[in-house]
Amino acid sequence: MQERANEMIKIFIDEKPVDAEEGTTVLKAAERAGIHIPHLCYHPAFPPEGSCRMCLVEIEGFPKLELSCSTVVKEEMKISTKSERVVEARKAVLEFLLAEHPLDCPICDKAGDCKLQDYYYEYGLFESQFKETKEKREKKLKIGKSLILDQERCILCTRCVRFLKEVTKTQDLGVFHRGVHSSVNIYEGTSVENNYSGNLAEICPVGAITDEDFRFQTRSWFLKEGESICPLCSRGCNILIEYHPGFSRFELPNRVYRIKARENPEVNGFWICDRGRYGYSYLDEGRADKIILNKIEGENVLTWENISEYLGEKINSMSSAKKTSGIALILHTWLSNEELFLLHKIFKKDLKVEKIFFADLPEGEADGFLLTSEPSPNRRGAQEIGFDIKAVDLSTLADGTDFLLAFGPFLSGLFSPKYLKGALSKIKRKVLFSSYSHELNSLFDVVIPVALIAEKEGSLTNVEGIVQGFQPALEPPGESLPEWKVLCDLGKELGMDSKFYSEFPSPETILSEMGEKIPFFKKKND
Amino acid sequence: MTETLTEMLVIFIKIVCALVWLLALTLYLTWLERKESALIQDRLGANRASIFGIRIIGLFQPFADAIKMIFKEDFVPPFSRKFLHTMAPFISFFFVAITIAAIPFGDTLRIGNRTINLQILDFNVGLLFILAMLSLGIYGIIISGWASNNKYTLIGGLRGAAQVISYEVALGLSLIGLIMVYPSLRLSSIVLYQGELLFGFLPKWGIFLQPLGFGIFLFAALAETKRVPFDLPEGESEIIGFFTEYSGLKWGLFMMTDFMEVIIVSTLLTTLFFGGWQVPWLASDGFHFPWGGELLLPHVVVILLQVAAFNIKVFFFCWLQILIRWTYPRFRYDQVMDLGWKLLVPLSLVNIIGTGIIMTI
Amino acid sequence: MIKALGYFIEIIRGGLITTRHFVVNLFYHILKVLGIKTKRKGSVTIQYPEQKKEIASRHRSLHRLMTRPDGKPRCVACMLCVTVCPSECIYVEAAEDPDPEIQKYPAKFIIDLGRCCFCGFCVEACPEDAIRMDTGNVEFAQYSQQDLIYDLDKLIG
Ligand code: SF4
Ligand code: SF4
Ligand code: SF4
Ligand code: SF4
Ligand code: FES
Repeated sequence: MQERANEMIKIFIDEKPVDAEEGTTVLKAAERAGIHIPHLCYHPAFPPEGSCRMCLVEIEGFPKLELSCSTVVKEEMKISTKSERVVEARKAVLEFLLAEHPLDCPICDKAGDCKLQDYYYEYGLFESQFKETKEKREKKLKIGKSLILDQERCILCTRCVRFLKEVTKTQDLGVFHRGVHSSVNIYEGTSVENNYSGNLAEICPVGAITDEDFRFQTRSWFLKEGESICPLCSRGCNILIEYHPGFSRFELPNRVYRIKARENPEVNGFWICDRGRYGYSYLDEGRADKIILNKIEGENVLTWENISEYLGEKINSMSSAKKTSGIALILHTWLSNEELFLLHKIFKKDLKVEKIFFADLPEGEADGFLLTSEPSPNRRGAQEIGFDIKAVDLSTLADGTDFLLAFGPFLSGLFSPKYLKGALSKIKRKVLFSSYSHELNSLFDVVIPVALIAEKEGSLTNVEGIVQGFQPALEPPGESLPEWKVLCDLGKELGMDSKFYSEFPSPETILSEMGEKIPFFKKKND
Repeated sequence: MTETLTEMLVIFIKIVCALVWLLALTLYLTWLERKESALIQDRLGANRASIFGIRIIGLFQPFADAIKMIFKEDFVPPFSRKFLHTMAPFISFFFVAITIAAIPFGDTLRIGNRTINLQILDFNVGLLFILAMLSLGIYGIIISGWASNNKYTLIGGLRGAAQVISYEVALGLSLIGLIMVYPSLRLSSIVLYQGELLFGFLPKWGIFLQPLGFGIFLFAALAETKRVPFDLPEGESEIIGFFTEYSGLKWGLFMMTDFMEVIIVSTLLTTLFFGGWQVPWLASDGFHFPWGGELLLPHVVVILLQVAAFNIKVFFFCWLQILIRWTYPRFRYDQVMDLGWKLLVPLSLVNIIGTGIIMTI
Repeated sequence: MIKALGYFIEIIRGGLITTRHFVVNLFYHILKVLGIKTKRKGSVTIQYPEQKKEIASRHRSLHRLMTRPDGKPRCVACMLCVTVCPSECIYVEAAEDPDPEIQKYPAKFIIDLGRCCFCGFCVEACPEDAIRMDTGNVEFAQYSQQDLIYDLDKLIG
């Protein structure tokens, strides 16, 4: 997807000298120089189509206005994007686009994100000059598993058609009829069912394709965006989490309203799969937000500080042989590189714990494009750090174990409750770090709520070995803590190497430490 | 023995009558204040209090107020000095109420061969007594300001003290001239002197003999009542004042004291400058007009006329004070002090000297 | 000195003005008591619960939601009023209407009048003229805040 190393040439946009790569288009060159040229049908993922005519610019030496999306730059080209002619032309184009447009922004989910709306505001065509009635078309056409097409709002940019042709190669949509009657529709008997259909609602520049999942839930201007990484498979697609910061007077049912793709040419390009797009309920549903004490002898502790002190005390009082055989760890691969590194350091290196298991979701099916078969975002990272990924074996786990530290919510899904109860009842002390409340949490002495990837800082290693950092997009609910914080505190209580557990630890410093210890993380972390 | 008993009974009756008069007038002064201010401002004023649906222009309002104040929580702030906090309104009330003892309501009443002064106690230093009591009243305010333990009340109390002390001087000095003219401190004698005529037709009232003294006394007395435009101790819009921490009946007592002061000032103005109970040309046996006519009246009618005259005059001054209160805005503190010390005190000295010169001539 | 005298005169004048009001108003009140009808009144007071002031046509009073001819709310749950409301006292939850020409309708529409400042912005913002503040009802005080939270039924009714 990269076209680097092309020769640079000099062009002038609005009398400003600009460097542009040879062979690029005027629109791309302008975008690179920070000049926005209005456009609707052009999408960086596809070759230019030239159907909307919004991107007209004036180029010296050309008799007519040219389409900036499909004109290739030449040395010394003089382009003006704001001249009177251009603005008049844009107004005219907009007027034609709007001639058949229903303007039902009040009920259109795109309002607020809609490019047509934005340009309309920018060019201020507030009086319609058309007396003719508008063409009636299908307003609510179900075209796919969760997509609804409103043909009246469609501006025939064919982005959707091109997406299905070039990305998913399914070609379910096409433009039918001619002239004023032309409209986008599905081919008879088909329906957009692929795993990337959600991207259509995102690339449609107007509100013609809307997403049933988001439809009418809220208005886009209430939402705030947070950047994160999708943890639902080992691809590590870059996403934007759109959440509602809430109203001061009224409670909202959930925080997260939709997930959008975030452009990253190295990982996911412009797209994300439907699993990642619609599977965001894990962010809000069934979350644990309070420390739960089921059983800690003789203590009445409720803050994490007290609990970490208590745990440190109990572990320190074991003999070193006992530590090796009597401590068991259940991990999972939703933990970040930094957290896995800390776990490796504390338990595998220093305490020499033998029983380390990984409890993850079972493998699924890959779809051959982005979605991989592993629903574990950091399996590669765990391997690189030096963990041997073993599935949980309950009989080995329970055998002679005094102390169990379990991370993650997945254990309860892997075994039948009865079986699990039997095994866990043999272990004296059990601590669970989980983001979810579950009835089987009561099997543990203490349950500490922890943050999800969307709520903490850290990095993940995807299936291709790309280390991607992420920042918190949301606030962790209630008393939830990120695991790296938990582990730093625990390390401090165990009296370990103070370099890692400094007064103000941060995933950033941990990652730079990792780079020194493990070459794999060094090269990715330049 | 019986003589003393009857004496005591008579005094007792006089005390009861005077107090009832004072309290009833106080009560209805609140009504008058409401109605008068309403008329001044083109409003109707409180008119909703009713008994069995009878409203009669809000005449029941004072009773409704009283009931409300009785049933309101009597809140004593936890940070206050409780004993003094409780005492303060009673001190204020007492020292104002007691002044009524020296006010003459009318001439001597003759029943059979017994003569009864229509005055509770005919002091020979009646005037001084009243002035003394009025200035003692300020203790209630200072104590309340102090005992509430709140900076605004304290500021209110201090302002009150400073103001009353300043105007006391002018008040006292303005009366010197009067005492020079009517050489007595006994209020009944002062009133009697005012029954005489000047140039054969003008009653010898204080207002005619001491016009400047009257003006000074009016201002100083207004300042003594601590009502608008001299309401600095209260200053509702800035410090709320010395009774900020009071509620219910105790606050009501302060309010009543306020109105009682208005009445006392009116009685003083009447007694000292408007001939007290004197009706022009009315002697103890009837009218003797300066143009020669005569109208003889029985004793009871004369006494009634005198008491009525007294009441009308007092009532007029109450009305006037309320009018003043609803007309003028509050002075600034320095203006109050300037007015007192730089205008009223020098003027009253001038008045004394002037009176002296005229009298020697 | 002259200035001081000027003040004094003005003070007296002030007193006379209030006296005039007192006397004139008293006179008209007395006339009324005597049953004599006059054009002028002694006071401008409106005796509220019995006598009511006429509400100006542009007065902003209690909100109401307009309906379509078939009785459904005209509101399309666009949430522009929610967005513009400075008191954040409107809450709208949209739902899908089976009619594709309507598409969106408010499943919940709540105004917390206890917070509303009666600015009328919601009326200005509404693209459907679905919300109005022209009921003329200004007497909806309640003893509990809960009763001031109006929902769809109350707003349409
Ligand atoms: S597509 Fe854009 S302009 Fe058209 S109705 Fe939707 S928001 Fe409005
Ligand atoms: S549905 Fe949207 S993306 Fe497709 S042609 Fe119409 S406007 Fe373009
Ligand atoms: S009147 Fe103003 S405050 Fe009240 S609901 Fe409408 S927008 Fe909100
Ligand atoms: S602005 Fe009007 S149409 Fe939109 S939600 Fe409010 S009342 Fe309904
Ligand atoms: S963006 Fe160039 S024609 Fe649409």
